[in-house]
Amino acid sequence: MGRKVNVLGVGMVKFQKPGASDGYEVMANGAIKDALKDGGVDFKDVEQAYAGYVFGDSTCGQRAVYSVGTTGIPVINVNNNCSTGSTALYLARQAIEGGLAECVLAVGFEQMQKGALASGWNDRTNPLDKHVDVMNAEQGVNQAPFAAQMFGGAGREYRWKYGTKRETFAKISEKARKHAAKNPFALFREVLSVEQILASEDVFDPLTRFQCCPPTCGAAAAILCSDDFAKRKGLKPMVHIAGQVMTTDFASSFDGKSMMKMIGYDMAKAAATQLYEKTGTGPKDVQVVELHDCFTANELLTYEAIGLCPEGGAEKFIEANDNTYGGQVVVNPSGGLLSKGHPLGATGLAQCTELVWHLRGTAGDRQVENAKVAVQHNLGLGGACVMTMYKRN
Amino acid sequence: MGSELRFDGKVVVITGAGAGLGRSHALFFGKRGAKVVVNDLGGTSTGGGKSSAAADKVVEEIKAAGGTATANYDSVEDGDKIIKTAIDAFGRIDVLINNAGILRDVSFKKMTKEDWDLIFRVHVNGAFRCSHAAWPYMQEQGYGRILFTASAAGIYGNFGQANYSAAKLALVGLSNTLAIEGEKKNVRVNTIAPIAASRLTETILPKDVLENLKPEYVTPLVAWLAHEECQENGGLYEVGGGYFGKLRWERTEGKLFKLGRDISPEAVRNAWDEVTDWEKVTHPANITESLGTVMSNLSTKSKGGNEFIDVDQALGYELPELESSYDERDLALYALGVGAGKNPGDPKDLHLVYERNGEGFYALPTYGVVPALNAIFKMASEGQTAPGLNYGLDRILHGEQYLEVMRPLPEKATLKHKARISEILDKGRNAIVVTHLDSYDAKTGELLVKNDVSMVVRGAGGWGGERGPATDLNQAPERAPDAVITEKTSENQALLYRLSGDWNPLHVDPEFATMFGFEKPILHGLCTFGFAGRAVVSAFAKGDPRTFKSIKVRFADSVFPGETLKIEMWKENELKVLLRATVVERNKVVLSNGVVEFYPEIPKPKAKAKASLSPAGERVGERADAPSITAAMTFDGIGAYVAKTPDLLKQVNMVYQFKLSSPDSAWVLDLKKGTVNAGTIEKADCTLALSNADWLDMVSGKADPKKLFQGGKLKITGNVMASQKLDFLKKIERPASALSPTLSPAGERETAVTAAMTFEGIGAYVAMTPDLLKQVNMVYQFKLSAPDSAWVLDLKKGTVSSGTVEKADCTLALSNADWLDMVSGKADPMKLFQGGKLKITGNVMASQKLDFLKKIDRAAMPTASAVAAPAAAPASAEVLAPKIFKALQERLAKNPGLAKEVDAVIAFKVKDAGFEFTAELKGGSPSIKPGFDAKAGTRIVLTDEALGALAKGESAQSLYQHGQLRIDGELIAAQRLGFLKQLV
Repeated sequence: MGRKVNVLGVGMVKFQKPGASDGYEVMANGAIKDALKDGGVDFKDVEQAYAGYVFGDSTCGQRAVYSVGTTGIPVINVNNNCSTGSTALYLARQAIEGGLAECVLAVGFEQMQKGALASGWNDRTNPLDKHVDVMNAEQGVNQAPFAAQMFGGAGREYRWKYGTKRETFAKISEKARKHAAKNPFALFREVLSVEQILASEDVFDPLTRFQCCPPTCGAAAAILCSDDFAKRKGLKPMVHIAGQVMTTDFASSFDGKSMMKMIGYDMAKAAATQLYEKTGTGPKDVQVVELHDCFTANELLTYEAIGLCPEGGAEKFIEANDNTYGGQVVVNPSGGLLSKGHPLGATGLAQCTELVWHLRGTAGDRQVENAKVAVQHNLGLGGACVMTMYKRN
Repeated sequence: MGSELRFDGKVVVITGAGAGLGRSHALFFGKRGAKVVVNDLGGTSTGGGKSSAAADKVVEEIKAAGGTATANYDSVEDGDKIIKTAIDAFGRIDVLINNAGILRDVSFKKMTKEDWDLIFRVHVNGAFRCSHAAWPYMQEQGYGRILFTASAAGIYGNFGQANYSAAKLALVGLSNTLAIEGEKKNVRVNTIAPIAASRLTETILPKDVLENLKPEYVTPLVAWLAHEECQENGGLYEVGGGYFGKLRWERTEGKLFKLGRDISPEAVRNAWDEVTDWEKVTHPANITESLGTVMSNLSTKSKGGNEFIDVDQALGYELPELESSYDERDLALYALGVGAGKNPGDPKDLHLVYERNGEGFYALPTYGVVPALNAIFKMASEGQTAPGLNYGLDRILHGEQYLEVMRPLPEKATLKHKARISEILDKGRNAIVVTHLDSYDAKTGELLVKNDVSMVVRGAGGWGGERGPATDLNQAPERAPDAVITEKTSENQALLYRLSGDWNPLHVDPEFATMFGFEKPILHGLCTFGFAGRAVVSAFAKGDPRTFKSIKVRFADSVFPGETLKIEMWKENELKVLLRATVVERNKVVLSNGVVEFYPEIPKPKAKAKASLSPAGERVGERADAPSITAAMTFDGIGAYVAKTPDLLKQVNMVYQFKLSSPDSAWVLDLKKGTVNAGTIEKADCTLALSNADWLDMVSGKADPKKLFQGGKLKITGNVMASQKLDFLKKIERPASALSPTLSPAGERETAVTAAMTFEGIGAYVAMTPDLLKQVNMVYQFKLSAPDSAWVLDLKKGTVSSGTVEKADCTLALSNADWLDMVSGKADPMKLFQGGKLKITGNVMASQKLDFLKKIDRAAMPTASAVAAPAAAPASAEVLAPKIFKALQERLAKNPGLAKEVDAVIAFKVKDAGFEFTAELKGGSPSIKPGFDAKAGTRIVLTDEALGALAKGESAQSLYQHGQLRIDGELIAAQRLGFLKQLV
């Protein structure tokens, strides 16, 4: 085992709709400055920076970091689809844990465009072509946004298997909006009823518009440090990373003849299993989870993949309100991707920020009581799943 | 967990229950409420003696504990009497535990017939008699449990127990079959292999071990297997000392030899690793599964072979692709290697060797063999050969060579070679292995060269396989040749030729040549081949090789460098010349059966069908050979139609591969990008294969694609649903007459319409994207030219209109064509501006906000396109819903039991047919009623076509996953939609 890795400071800017936000470098500047201030350190103390984003020319990472300081430190640009933010965090954590650095910045930002995600490169192999092959074989391809077809298709497969009600999916969005209402950083804070969610336009059965996360612009950052560093600076970080795992696709994503597997069910399951084994802490010991709810269907599947409830038990779990305040575990107190928004590069670090606030007891109105152990799940198609467990010091 | 497993009212017979395991079982069953028949002969452990004491004692113990039991003292060989005791005393028999046993341990050498027979009488015959007597009762009452007691000695063997081992495993076989025969009547039969301290083991195990092997550790398994709740059948278990485990058969996937040829013991030995590979195993659970492997092997016959050649493995094998490149230098060096450029003063002799020659520089077509052969040499040197070809280079001779160039070879190229074993012939003593190579331009994918390399493999024939054609094609005619060229090769010819890549020392190293039985190094056969090709070009094409198509020769004998070649040529027709080459000095034919063919005119490179329609980087693989002009015209027409119908992309959004036959051609219709190309693509959504004639009928509207499909004339693979979107093809013929080759694909009037369409599309996008106004908040004036038109895009008000406005923030002027390219994303506004093709006046910065235009043509209007997409159901087809409704009513009338099976109320809304019905398949009075019962537990919205598919028996799950069924309410009931099957 390597050294203990503390989360010293976190910060994020309020997410905005595409077109309404500041430029990426301005957003990143806000998030980094907040994280530095939160951690009580100066940018000069930062030895390395990992900067995550998906859309933009090369070296946006430097441009973002330069907005805070030009100290000549290594800046590594990170691109890993929707799990970009936590991939940056993963690299930063490795640097501290492995003894290669004492104080490291992980920042994620995204300036997105309107509309569904689309490939920017039509002259070369699409990295998701194998995933699309599975989809084409299982359900064909239509004009709906690709991600909605993929996750919606996984939802169909699940529904067929367990007879899950359409309302059950909508309830996840209802809960997300309820949580977001108390989160000033969230984009959509208006509470919606299950009926409203179901009545919004169909995107890809069983998903309606309010069950799909919107393209969003935003930034978030975290400062990680070693115990030595904290001691030297006289700082007392309250939260540390108890364990972190990244998985990528297994063969079952492509030969499993299953939409659920294709969108990363096995990837998440393996990540969760490894994380719980590594930390010796199981899903029942967790009080708060930030989970990759890009679509309601994925949140529902992920409950099972990461062991919050047994396989086939998601509907019961949801109906018993076991996914919110007063239940077994609070999932996405921030409002999740569905309500808070999903700026691809920033999401993983925004999740981290939210969880650190809960563990410190500073999450305000939406504070999860007695939060001691928190789990983060960040998934990208293509694919990668990063899971992180945070604990109070 | 759960309640106690009880045996109240059950009658249990246990043989050999006076002591050990049997006694432990008996006491337990007695305790759990069973009526127990305690059988024991009261003999010794080796089968001697008889007494009633043992059984009586156990009966008394059971009774003392409050249980019910009776004793029986018969030998198990009189099993019927034991069962009769149960019937007489308790009126039935539910459980039979065949437990009685004795030992006669002795090494096999000393074993007597009596030792053998006695063991078999007690264990095998005894178990048979008891089970056979109990069987009718169990079958009759539809319930029974039988257990046999086997032993690890039987499963694994044990010294001194040959008789006992054999008998114990015999019981496993008996159990396996009774399990099958009893299955239907709920008679379950299982076997245990216990290890416990008893009279039978006390002689073989040490005392301290025995103490921990109490019979009581075995009884729980026996009791569970004997219980009504346990459905295990035909199992074998090891149990004892706290261990409970189940056994099964495991076998290797093994080796399958194709049938139809001898399987030698050597072949079995050579495959032994595969036969015994425990990494790859299966677990056959019954005889069907066991036989499956064998049965599957029976259906595939071998194509033959022997130790040198395995035709099954080798034929059709595709070697890994290789790349190589050449340039002018390689072409010139090759030409020198085959004797060109001997008269440097003659410009005509320079055009094969001088790249700046004023008369032209041409590649000698026979160079086409060089990169291909080099690719083969490279693979061979890296050990890459086809599987199943197990002979050394010492056995092979280059027998024949066929080369075809699709057009004059470019001066330089990077080639991609695809090779496969295309033919294997058994010529009796020898075999012939033909490797076919296709060499493509790696950049454009254009097929440039084909080669057939025919190798004679000496002594490798004789397996009785296909011999190939016996006719001696292209023999030199009797008549005098029409042309003769005599040319002396130079002494160093082989040294020059080898620099093109054939490094075999046989052609340069005297010692090596001696080893192979030649007096000195010989000339490369392909060098002679090059001399011959050049001679034909020089005699019949005035030295211009550009119409050269193909050459084929047979290598008859070798040539020594410095010898004189006499090349005789016979003109067969305008495009065909036969040839023969002879070494003058020795009067030996060295090339025979030679033929050269020409093209009637210089073939052109096969450029993409429409350059303007295919963006850079288009992935086009193999190009069709000379596609028929007519098919090409139709695809040109489709290209034109696609170009002026941008909405089509949104509606269809699929990539189609067409494969036409007789004549063969291949086409890619990419309705994601809006391109039409000749050739093939790897990832088509849908592939349609049909004859050229049917295709022409189909696009001209004479043939209905549906009927072609049903008649098997049109084959569709991939996403079949995609093929239904091809209805638009029917429309092409009438309005556009674009199929007529004389019409230019895009007339002026039609382009104007297209510009209008783009602005319509922008209008729709603006309407759907109100935020755009806030972000942009500008008024744009567009002025298009050739043809001229003017448009106002007012992003303050959110309107789009034709005409001009006085106060535009920004005016953009560009050609109509560039505008179309710009909105389709093909042209970058920035580049158009920089190139002077787009002129901007007014607020130049405002133009930078127009980036959103790029998005419009692509995925940005998903909802609009979803609305615009036509319903999937073809208008021409018959509406099926009412028919299915009626048939379902009839089905229910005939089979009221359907309600019980389905047990749900399912309402159907067939949206495109405007037909609704509700299947109330639940409760006492099921019905199929018209109308959509909104209160139905399960509500399904679908198209007539999807309903038809369900009725035809297609999987509801797959239709649901494809989005063809919208299901509300109880989705699980949809899993029982099978009741619609076979209604049409």
